[in-house]
Amino acid sequence: MKDGGFEMSVLKKARYVDATKCTACGACVEKCPTKVDNAFDMNLGKRKAIYMYFAQGIPAVMTIDPEKCIYHKRIAAGKKPACQNCMKACQAGAVDFEQKDEEVKIQVGSVIVATGLDLVDAKSLGSYGYGRYKNVITALEYERLMSAAGPTSGHLKRLSKDEADPKKIAFLQCVGSRDLRHNKYCSSVCCMHSIKEAILTRDHYPDTEVSIFYMDLRAVGKWFHKYRRRGEEEYGIRYVKGRVSHIDEDKDSNLVLHYEEVTSDKIAKETFDMVVLATGLRPSKGGEELSKIFGFELDEYGFVKTDPLEPLDTTVDGIYVAGYAQSPKDIPETVAQTSGAAQRAAGKVLGAVAAR
Amino acid sequence: MASAASTLNETAVPPAVAVIGGGIAGIQASLDLADMGVKVYLIEKKPSIGGVMAQLDKTFPTNDCAV
Repeated sequence: MKDGGFEMSVLKKARYVDATKCTACGACVEKCPTKVDNAFDMNLGKRKAIYMYFAQGIPAVMTIDPEKCIYHKRIAAGKKPACQNCMKACQAGAVDFEQKDEEVKIQVGSVIVATGLDLVDAKSLGSYGYGRYKNVITALEYERLMSAAGPTSGHLKRLSKDEADPKKIAFLQCVGSRDLRHNKYCSSVCCMHSIKEAILTRDHYPDTEVSIFYMDLRAVGKWFHKYRRRGEEEYGIRYVKGRVSHIDEDKDSNLVLHYEEVTSDKIAKETFDMVVLATGLRPSKGGEELSKIFGFELDEYGFVKTDPLEPLDTTVDGIYVAGYAQSPKDIPETVAQTSGAAQRAAGKVLGAVAAR
Repeated sequence: MASAASTLNETAVPPAVAVIGGGIAGIQASLDLADMGVKVYLIEKKPSIGGVMAQLDKTFPTNDCAV
């Protein structure tokens, strides 16, 4: 824009629910007949066509998924309307099928890119058996299984037909990362979140053995090494320095890991009943799309390109970046860095704010 | 901060910031900016804010709930 700043069009997508009326009571969800794979639970559970992304979601307003909703699908196909159970169930009269997507034009003095991360698709890492062996899962799937608000209400069980409680779990680090075939870089957070998941597992299920297979157990942050030692000394986690080359499945849906135990130079085979892959993380596709719209540069890995001496500034003046979009980092680092980006962004507009 | 507003018409620029992405980074940036009295447009493509962090069961080292 002429005096600095940006004007942009934002597509405000219709929820088909009036945000000023919805009380998030859930009556609509109970009556909706359509079950859909729940992406929030990593497709391990179901949600309805009218839903809240997760129970504590903000804004606390329901949303209708027009691709799954019976009414929307019929109208789009030129058929007579049907269902509308949610509308009938809603005491607040909040359901509004007539709502349309809206294009909103906004003018701002500066922009912060905080587009976060995507996961490496574990199916592309063939030798670990993800997608073929039921009991090989990703770390985020594991988080959902362990969560009291998750698809199994926090009850950890195998995904094979037996649904048994796992007794021997292997966590594999650097799956699709620090790997010339996939992500060449380190995702930064997985060593610590695997230790956390292992500790929580031992806490809830003291009879379950847990092992973590690693290259380097990267515990770089404040008190992180202490947490790592606590995992071993207090919770009995077995740390194995060795990368797993491939996994086979036996007839009981258990997993046989083939690995080199580096400190003893031995090639070993060991059976576990569940494997958790700490899959690589990469900057989200959304960030890439945004870079084309705004014109800021990305580096060869897809992270927003920044100068090491100005790590929050993109290559476009007035556009700043924070969080995983800038480089791999965990929650405390993100929170700290993002406050810096907020300061950078505010610097552009505080004169105008004060002049108002 | 010396270079922040030197090439702009400081008072004519729109007094707002767009934060694109409603995960933990976007939320923190929005809160900080709002605390400074700056209007924020927080733009998130999912129906709720929270990002990947909302999917975590607990965070270390305190094992607090992520949400």
